[in-house]
Amino acid sequence: MKFGPLDIGFQCNIFPVLLKGALMTLELTLLAIFFGTVIGLFIALAKISRVRILEFIGGIYTWVVRGIPLLVQLFLLYYGLAQVGIELSSFTAAVMGLSICGGAYIAEIFRAGIQSIDRGQKEAALSLGMSSGQAFRRVILPQAYRRLLPPMGNEFITLMKDSSLVSVISMTDLMRTGQLLNSSHFKPMEIYLPVAIIYLILTTIFIYLLGNIEKRLAIYDGD
Amino acid sequence: MIEAQNITKSFGDFQVLKKVNLFVKQGEVVVIIGPSGSGKSTFLRCLNYLEPIDDGSITVNGQTVGKRKLTSGQLVEVHKKNIYRLRSQIGMVFQQFNLFPHKTALENVMEGPITVSRISESEARERAEVLLDKVGLVDKAGTYPVHLSGGQKQRVAIARALAMQPRAMLFDEPTSALDPELVDGVLAVIKELALEGMTMVVVSHEMSFAREVADRVIFMDEGCIIEESTPQKIFSEPDHPRTTEFLSKIL
Ligand SMILES: Nc1ncnc2c1ncn2[C@@H]1O[C@H](COP(=O)(O)OP(=O)(O)OP(=O)(O)O)[C@@H](O)[C@H]1O
Ligand SMILES: [Mg+2]
Repeated sequence: MKFGPLDIGFQCNIFPVLLKGALMTLELTLLAIFFGTVIGLFIALAKISRVRILEFIGGIYTWVVRGIPLLVQLFLLYYGLAQVGIELSSFTAAVMGLSICGGAYIAEIFRAGIQSIDRGQKEAALSLGMSSGQAFRRVILPQAYRRLLPPMGNEFITLMKDSSLVSVISMTDLMRTGQLLNSSHFKPMEIYLPVAIIYLILTTIFIYLLGNIEKRLAIYDGD
Repeated sequence: MIEAQNITKSFGDFQVLKKVNLFVKQGEVVVIIGPSGSGKSTFLRCLNYLEPIDDGSITVNGQTVGKRKLTSGQLVEVHKKNIYRLRSQIGMVFQQFNLFPHKTALENVMEGPITVSRISESEARERAEVLLDKVGLVDKAGTYPVHLSGGQKQRVAIARALAMQPRAMLFDEPTSALDPELVDGVLAVIKELALEGMTMVVVSHEMSFAREVADRVIFMDEGCIIEESTPQKIFSEPDHPRTTEFLSKIL
């Protein structure tokens, strides 16, 4: 079956294969979001801890990770470490690379969000007798969430798109599935067009879900 | 009940408090007045260790807050747990209310008892409802702070502090961020507390309020207590020319 210059029949045939790749992309992205958020929270806390050594470590982390292209980080993690005897599976290396990278950006988002909460909030919490930790969990963080969400959403979408880079360390995500198909069939338009559309659908679902969460958190703002 | 001795505090090179002494007896109401920047807020914040002091000592109910002087004269930090406990026994009300915007009026009042005193949610709710009733805001229990007027916010903030069943209350200009017509409602609540025998330190320039409830008025300037006496005396015949000058500006 042909539609203009495109072979629709071929596209129907490769669709299940692409879908499998898409699931891998989704899995990688969700894991990277999870670990990246955990890393980001700790790095952010380190950076605002007022403990000099922690601030220093946090600073180094964001400086290094943000200053080196993700592609280079992935090569180092997968090929570089293998050379010195630390052999990571491409899945592990992919999740690590994406999480480490996402963590650095998420840390900055957390930090900005936490620091944007009025000082009086912490003081009010402390004056009730809360510890700093309780004040952070009960008062600062819940308010920061709301402000964090839009930039976090952007970062999550960036992570989803950047996850296509793991194709270079032979991770069969959506992108690499497309590349493999193309190397045997040589039909780039028939292959990369659906790949693009699937990415678009995935990011659109993300945006939709995040928008919903934002709306639910907006109640106390009166807007 | 509150004994602050030789409180000294600097921000960088700038000495905000210079050996300030204050003794507040059980049930006493002390009103602090003084020009902007004289250190009133800082002093109040030192009393519950929101601001660490450089020198001096603060004792509340016989317990030392913040720093303790060893016999060698060295200042050591008191254990954090003690600071938390003492803070929970001193309520603080801020000029800018500082209500938790992500919680309803009722939840604001319940927050301390649940998180700090660890009482059950139903008990906290009951206590919070009684207190909201006391400040005249039961009907606003489910309202988020953004939908409350300044006066209502401040009354919720007072209820929130009272929910910890404090032994003393500190008020830092509780009405100065309010529209004039909302001031009286808040002052009425504070007056009622005074009648109930609550020990209070209030930074306020509401003279008629001070006249009515203060056992003692303290005039602070440039980090020092310049003069202290009964409201009658300090407002009509102050001893110190700086007091006279300040009062002539605000009356
Ligand atoms: N965290 C801080 N860092 C540096 N300086 C500060 C800090 N807090 C207060 N100050 C300074 O200390 C001085 C006393 O401030 P404080 O807020 O105690 O005055 P105040 O008597 O409460 O004044 P106001 O009537 O304006 O509230 C001011 O000059 C202020 O700029
Ligand atoms: Mg002040």
